[in-house]
Amino acid sequence: MELLLILKNEALKLVKKTRAWLGPILIFILIMVAFPLTVELTSNNLSDAFYPVLFISILLVMMLATEDIFLEDYEDGTLELFFISEKSLSQWVFLKIFMHWLFIGVPISLLGAFFNIGANNDLASSLMLFPALLIATYIFLILFCFGNSLSLTKGSVLGTLITLPLTLPILVVLGKLNTAIIFNISYFEFLILLFGILSIIIFAFPAIISRIIKTHLE
Amino acid sequence: MDLNSPILEIKDLKACINNNEILRNLNLTVNRGEIHAIMGPNGSGKSTLIRILCGITPPSKGKVSKKNGLAFSYLGHKNALKTYLSVRDNISLLGLSQHESLKPFLLSLDLSEKLDVIVANLSFGQQKKVALLRIFLTSADLILLDEPFVGLDSTSHDLLCKFLEKKLNTGAGLVYTSHIPTGISSKNIVLD
Repeated sequence: MELLLILKNEALKLVKKTRAWLGPILIFILIMVAFPLTVELTSNNLSDAFYPVLFISILLVMMLATEDIFLEDYEDGTLELFFISEKSLSQWVFLKIFMHWLFIGVPISLLGAFFNIGANNDLASSLMLFPALLIATYIFLILFCFGNSLSLTKGSVLGTLITLPLTLPILVVLGKLNTAIIFNISYFEFLILLFGILSIIIFAFPAIISRIIKTHLE
Repeated sequence: MDLNSPILEIKDLKACINNNEILRNLNLTVNRGEIHAIMGPNGSGKSTLIRILCGITPPSKGKVSKKNGLAFSYLGHKNALKTYLSVRDNISLLGLSQHESLKPFLLSLDLSEKLDVIVANLSFGQQKKVALLRIFLTSADLILLDEPFVGLDSTSHDLLCKFLEKKLNTGAGLVYTSHIPTGISSKNIVLD
């Protein structure tokens, strides 16, 4: 019941604060639409450049999406109330990240797969790409939330910069996965690797983030 | 109900902020049905004391003992309102939409016509009233309020006083901070 109330509240906040989720999605669309226009690309070149641009765009958009994910609740006193209510702060962090992923990560993954059809003219590779994007967006979201919580009172850029190196191994795996999709080889191994990383950080990081937020509140 | 049983006790409390000692050797016992007013000028540590009592800020030294299972309400300087949402949505976020006493309090606080107004468009005093709804509608053994009368008109001020006095009769304890006398008979703690 408590979980549902938190999810409902987070959904209500996001629905009413359109710019928090629509802004990152629009920026993603803008990048994906604009990048082929900015350089002279043949069809083959476009196909080669598509995946790196897609992954970097997702990384940047997820960074943007977490810019003030905790700041608003910190500044208006919601976090203080949550803290003294003795409810689980890590559970709240987990659900907040999950709701942001539903509003931003899932649409971006869908759009990414859709743009892949346009760039590569291949539905099968889009179907392979989609689950990888779902997992990657969630991982990026969690990592940037971690960075954001680190610099909650100092502006989110500092924390994000600290977190950025943590995203590099994910980009490497995504690159390998991209190669696997193109050459149709051992795609699932990389997908499972991504899923393994997610399954560790999905529970560990909310606990760490909640501890960091408590320190800021004190 | 034992009105003299302490629900909160602090002993030899010391609090420092940025190496400045702002509270020293403070002792306080809050029993059921008691009001404690923390008075003092700006920077004297009133808000810090309330935050320590809530458990948000740990004391530098000393002990804060709370009765087990103590339910308390807290209203600090921050109202915990989402300014981009309507009053109705904020009430919904607090899970108070279905509370049986919501309508009478909305009427008393002159907020019933403001339910669909975005909180950012309300005045400071009106926002404070919306925040007070949470205090009014939540059952608590201990109520901790930081400058609760700031920004309130005389009607809301009187309503808050009456509500707090009524809560005391049900056995709740109250600690609040204020710069000025509020008209509630209370035990005063003056910080300097």
